[in-house]
Amino acid sequence: MAKKVKNNDFDLVNLPLEAQDPSISQDDFVLQQADKEIHEQKFQTKPTTFLKDSLRRFSKNKSSVVAAYILGILVLLSIFVPIFDRNDVSQAQNPAFVNLQPKLFDNANGFWDGTVKVEDTAVDVSNPDDPSTWLPDPALYKPSGITNIKYKGEHYTNVPDQYGKGGYLQVAYYGSTAEEGYAISVNPKESSNPFTLDLSSSNLTVTSFVVVDEAGLREIEGDNTLAAPSNYTLGLTSLEFVFLKEGDLEETVVELIEPALTQNITPSEPVDISSTIKDVAGQDKFDNFYFRITVTAPDEQHKHSNVDALVKSLVITTDSTDESVREYFSLSKGKLGEIGMSFTNAMDAASRLPEVGTGANTKTNFGFWGIENAEKHFVGVYLGKATFASFTYDTYKATLGERTMTLYSDKFEEYRDLGYCDFDFVIAKEGGVAKIIVSESTPFTILDENKCPVTSTFEFSDVEVYQIAVGGEYSWSVDVDVVYYKYLGYETMPKFLMGTDKNGRDMFKYVFEGLRNSLLLGVITFAVCFLFGLLWGAVSGYFGGAVDLVMERVTDILSGVPWIVVMTLVILKAGSSFGTFVLALCLTGWIGTASTTRTQFYRFRGREYVLASRTLGASDARLIAKHILPNAMGTIVTGAVLMIPSVIFSEATISYLGLGFKNLSSLGVILSNNQAELTSHPYQLIFPSVVIALIMISFNLFGNGLRDAINPSLKGEEE
Amino acid sequence: MLKYSIKRIILALITAFIILSLTFILVKSLGIKDTTFGAKENVKHAFYIEQLNLGYVVVFNKPMSGYGKLLAEFHSFGQDEYYYARPILEQYGNWLANVFTKWDWGTSIAIEPEARAIDIIAWRLPTSMILNVISVVISVPLGIGLGILAGLKKNTWIDHLISTLVMIFISIPSFVVISFLMYAFCFQNNWLPTLWPTPGADTKTKVLAFIIPVISLSFGSVCGYTRFVRAELCEVMSSEYLLLARTKGLTKNQAITRHALKNAFVPILPSILAEFIGIFGGSMILEQLYGIPGIGKLYVTAINTKDYNVLMVDMAIFTTVGLLAGIVLDLSYGFIDPRIRMGEKK
Repeated sequence: MAKKVKNNDFDLVNLPLEAQDPSISQDDFVLQQADKEIHEQKFQTKPTTFLKDSLRRFSKNKSSVVAAYILGILVLLSIFVPIFDRNDVSQAQNPAFVNLQPKLFDNANGFWDGTVKVEDTAVDVSNPDDPSTWLPDPALYKPSGITNIKYKGEHYTNVPDQYGKGGYLQVAYYGSTAEEGYAISVNPKESSNPFTLDLSSSNLTVTSFVVVDEAGLREIEGDNTLAAPSNYTLGLTSLEFVFLKEGDLEETVVELIEPALTQNITPSEPVDISSTIKDVAGQDKFDNFYFRITVTAPDEQHKHSNVDALVKSLVITTDSTDESVREYFSLSKGKLGEIGMSFTNAMDAASRLPEVGTGANTKTNFGFWGIENAEKHFVGVYLGKATFASFTYDTYKATLGERTMTLYSDKFEEYRDLGYCDFDFVIAKEGGVAKIIVSESTPFTILDENKCPVTSTFEFSDVEVYQIAVGGEYSWSVDVDVVYYKYLGYETMPKFLMGTDKNGRDMFKYVFEGLRNSLLLGVITFAVCFLFGLLWGAVSGYFGGAVDLVMERVTDILSGVPWIVVMTLVILKAGSSFGTFVLALCLTGWIGTASTTRTQFYRFRGREYVLASRTLGASDARLIAKHILPNAMGTIVTGAVLMIPSVIFSEATISYLGLGFKNLSSLGVILSNNQAELTSHPYQLIFPSVVIALIMISFNLFGNGLRDAINPSLKGEEE
Repeated sequence: MLKYSIKRIILALITAFIILSLTFILVKSLGIKDTTFGAKENVKHAFYIEQLNLGYVVVFNKPMSGYGKLLAEFHSFGQDEYYYARPILEQYGNWLANVFTKWDWGTSIAIEPEARAIDIIAWRLPTSMILNVISVVISVPLGIGLGILAGLKKNTWIDHLISTLVMIFISIPSFVVISFLMYAFCFQNNWLPTLWPTPGADTKTKVLAFIIPVISLSFGSVCGYTRFVRAELCEVMSSEYLLLARTKGLTKNQAITRHALKNAFVPILPSILAEFIGIFGGSMILEQLYGIPGIGKLYVTAINTKDYNVLMVDMAIFTTVGLLAGIVLDLSYGFIDPRIRMGEKK
């Protein structure tokens, strides 16, 4: 700020000339502090070192400090979680531990409590009188884990399901060239039960073949809002009989029903096909044949677009007495045993008969029809019907809760020795037959209800006696209800904070073990690259000239190769172990550090203090290490500090491309392995993703803060 | 300038040549991969005839010692044939001869057997390029706009919001972003197709399928540009000539548009030009995850199926694109700002 000028400073000028005499006598001066001893004074400000100053400036950057704390916590977790979490993650675990949902809270509030909300799953309503049996497929959802089940009623579905019924077979062709779409029935020759179709003694009749268009769809369903599939173009549909003649390589095709936009053959006017087949084929015994529904483009205009057909039903009837033949034509339903009875073939998926027989679901019907060239042809179910329900599914209760299982005598003996239960009988041989020798009337009592895994009692009649080896001792087993987690040796229900993966591994430990490996890789790679880059840059920058020129060309070439190419080649050549990864990452990783170091050395090597030291006889090594390096260090560290997150990133990327560690976990390996679970178990991706995002964000923030703090050019600059 | 440009281009060609040579030698040192395992005898034979024509193997009519491991033997094609690998440097020489005299980069052995590797690349390149072009067209203006906004409103909540978001999104790996975009839009809500549609799909699906790839490709570059533009603009805004311009009486808008932006864009424009070179590349992870038949996915497929001829050409493209982008970046500095003369003697 400019000093404000006072008026009287200029007064002298305005005085008359005589009065302007500025003569000053000696008396005008008075000695100040004449009798005071004056010494050097201490600095009023505190002295500071480079590190302290950096730390002070770093701590002013709030976001970096927070990032540093998060980073610290993650690093500590990655060190201690793998040590203290005793769960085994090195191999696949007991199937009961597979895909358990993450669980933090014990109360069932629906959030992070080991349950999952399952929406709209088809349920089995084959027993309409007993709603307690209306449950989804027990292979997918065990009844013990299901709570809060809500039925949504019967709805259309286009997904084949074993509890689905009815619907249309959608035969489609997706492709750009004019080919045909097929739905072919399974060839009996390739099935488990091969047979010969003999048309000399039996007849085949098509009693129903209905192919509909959109209007037909509405008419049959009685629902005038229904529309055909979105990209539906009606194709010409025909029914063909395809067989292989003895000695021929090419299949012979017999057209049974001419191509048409819609087909409508009903049981009232059946079509005999055996004579057509016999006439065209010139033979009447076939062991290598199948039926085929073919859909072709209706006109020239649609030659190159998708064509579909919605097949309502196809019923081919046989009067053969051969069981195998009848079974082939009756894969969906019908009552076996009455000769001459029409057996509908699997195509009758669409049958809207009220009762659904065994196997009459849309899933097996779908499976009965094979497809050729799956990339371009498609056979699916359209407008099948199923009853849907939504429910809460407790994965822990379902697999680790109560279950009925066969328990052997050694387990019972173990529990008796621990005092959980008591039983008093032995197996002995009596008159050539093994018998239970009883001393008390009750075979089994539970003593400790909290600890005993067995929750049900049994009678002597339930006990199964068996011989351990031929001529050996006798032992016994019994089917009882068991709390599975207690059986496995847990006292309370296990709890997995991040759930488990498809191999039953504890994700919590697995993720942090992966993080530890990723961090280790980052730190080691950083150390190697930093040291090598420092050395390379120092030599190149200090000596300059021809040495520099050659070394610069080498870095030029290396930095021109995309890192992904280098990594791919090294990993393909040397395998994907930890050491290979370090090598691969280091091959190009040091270039950044080297070029910063080189620039700094160029800058400082001509300075006076270097010259002075050289004049005094200092060696090159001393000049580099003692004089130039300390000055250049700040900038070099600044450039290198973000290398660790970038190494973690590179490792994750390369793992994602399928070249990751083989026997070691890392964040990238976990993410890439669990990618397929994105739809079914998203938590298996969410947790590792959150961890990798957190570590990257905090590393970057921390690194930026550190860079600003260390950077000598920002020293003293206040924000 | 012209002399410098020529020098740079020649240097880049030499670098590319050395890189590709090293790559070839490394790839070849992995051995000749016979991917026809289990195939019929004549397919196998055709594979070795192809290798012979390319000059990678040598054939004798009786077993030879000193040629390393016997690769394959055939007896049913007129005469006895025993195939051995040529020494790698000899293979390298033949490869160079094929590439330079006939522009023959070999044929694919696994991805599309018997198709020329260079054709396979040519079929897939357009898909990658279209995606890249769209994402560049979207991300460059968006990134610059956000950067200018953040730079002009420095230290306000707008700036803090933008900078924080940029920080977060630049740190999260792209595959995490893609996975969760797919989860949210494809699996949870069924709004977008879960995979890249086949050529026969209808137009609506085809258009919708662009959304996720374009978003995930743009994320990184939008964040990058925002950060870059903000940093440059902040630097220019605090410079003395801008203060002078304001002192002379220019309005803030005039000062920003005529002085600040023009100068801030000197380092930004070259990187935009370099970005346009980058459209010839493909994003491996995105293409792999979304099933896009581009050259990024091709790279991964080539690695997994050990189709080394295709891998070589793909690597060549990635390398060339990288080098070209570098040259464009350096040279365009000189064109945009005449004060900067790259490579001039001091």
